[in-house]
Amino acid sequence: MDNFEVRFSGSGGQGLILSAKFLSAALMAEGYNVAQSQSYEPVSRGGLSRSDLVVSKGQAAFPLSRGLDYLLILHGAAAHASDGLLSKNSLVLVDSELVPEPPKGDFTLISLPFTDTARKLGNKRVANIVALSALVARAGLCPMAVLENVVRTKTPPKFANLNMEAFEAGQALALQDA
Amino acid sequence: MAKRINLQGNQACALGAIAAGCTFYAGYPITPSSEVAEAMARELPKIGGTFIQMEDEIASMGAAIGASMGGLKVMTATSGPGFSLKQENLGYASGAEIPCVIINVMRGGPSTGMPTRPAQGDIMQARWGTHGDHAIIVLTPASVAECYSETVRAFELTERLRVPVVVLIDEVIGHLVETVDLDALKPSRLVTRKFADGPAEGFEPYAVTDDMVPPFPRPGDGYRSHTTGLTHLPSGFPTQNPSKAEAALVRTTDKLDLHADLIEAVEVAECDDADVVIASVGISARAGQAAVADLRSKGVKAGLFRPKTLWPFPEAALKAATKGAKAVVVPEMNQGQMVLEVERLLKNKSVHGLGKIDGEAITPAEIVTRVTEVLA
Repeated sequence: MDNFEVRFSGSGGQGLILSAKFLSAALMAEGYNVAQSQSYEPVSRGGLSRSDLVVSKGQAAFPLSRGLDYLLILHGAAAHASDGLLSKNSLVLVDSELVPEPPKGDFTLISLPFTDTARKLGNKRVANIVALSALVARAGLCPMAVLENVVRTKTPPKFANLNMEAFEAGQALALQDA
Repeated sequence: MAKRINLQGNQACALGAIAAGCTFYAGYPITPSSEVAEAMARELPKIGGTFIQMEDEIASMGAAIGASMGGLKVMTATSGPGFSLKQENLGYASGAEIPCVIINVMRGGPSTGMPTRPAQGDIMQARWGTHGDHAIIVLTPASVAECYSETVRAFELTERLRVPVVVLIDEVIGHLVETVDLDALKPSRLVTRKFADGPAEGFEPYAVTDDMVPPFPRPGDGYRSHTTGLTHLPSGFPTQNPSKAEAALVRTTDKLDLHADLIEAVEVAECDDADVVIASVGISARAGQAAVADLRSKGVKAGLFRPKTLWPFPEAALKAATKGAKAVVVPEMNQGQMVLEVERLLKNKSVHGLGKIDGEAITPAEIVTRVTEVLA
């Protein structure tokens, strides 16, 4: 894949922009040029939040999304915010608990228990890492070891074990489903 | 050796400033510019520089001007509401010819508007926000790499010419993260203002020199100088003598004409055979670039004209780039500001605006649609 677009979407405070940063770092390490943008409300929690990656081997003229290859939806607030950017090649991953009414259309939709998996690990706030890991494992965006290294080195020591457990759990979720 | 990193536009402004020799930052954080202050607060102490969070935007501008009068390279950063507050002191810096760089990351306005949403509504304010006829330079980066390199250029221009330089960024570019090669961006030279080094006796702080840029008296070097916002003589003292007042004012604006080659910077792409030219800045110009490719693939001869120096407006370059064009389209995230300048310069051309003020960036598809309407 020389060019592709990824969107992390949900509600403010879910760690969507952090997930996007982790994936950006992994993709850069793999030689890609990444343009990462974000949109959020002027509140510290809640509201529609998203971060997009426009990934290319060359230089992207327009750094914002024009058509999503991969879409993650972690909250119902974002369920239909990206409908206009989906096509039949899109892969859409949604949280089965928080997105009860996912987008419908001619694309691949996978509903997985990201939040519930995180909760069982002891903290639902790591749902973003569960989902990131599941998305990358399922879509093969980069080698898992590269992403794992990014998550490990960029996570504060206090959360290191929890994030690595979330990473493993996300990968397992994706493989179970496949 | 390439040093590839994922860097944010606002952070790139801060790193560019430090690479250009900035050692003083005073600011008051405001969305969507706060990362400039964050990065300066982190980086400046490492090089022995000074970061001050002031009580408001007015004081930040004042502190930056004061530090510059002390001989330092200085910067502040803000967004719409703060940029409005800085205008009085910005006028002082222009009138008294005190070098300073102001980053303005544009958000939705007027007033507090839409803090986290992009806009390009400060295009006219950046030129005419402070009162009176005055010299100012405004640069408009369109990528993260340019946030870095244009901030470096802002320091070169403000130091070389003693004119305040505004780096005008929209929220999309300010918050955009792109992969850049930091080593390739490092400036190869440092430009610092010309400090006075002649005899102290009879020194005139606003002397009329060949380059129209008076040598700057560094405090402590023994020069007596007087600095005022009042219209002043070469001696630095106020005057209301009509011919002397006019000469003093005209020098500060004429120096931009004299140094136009140094100031002007544009990107012109595929305009040679273009039937339609898209003229735009910032993220709207990036959409324009994508729209040119889309239009060309459909057989429409389109080109892009992108001022990197927005003010003074690159008049001759615009006329040259649009010479053969039947129409010019100006996409901008406001109700029509830059388009007024383009209309003024291209009186005999068919010039069309494309405005958007809903807090979302203009898309390549919207530009393609507008161009198609215009050519129909």
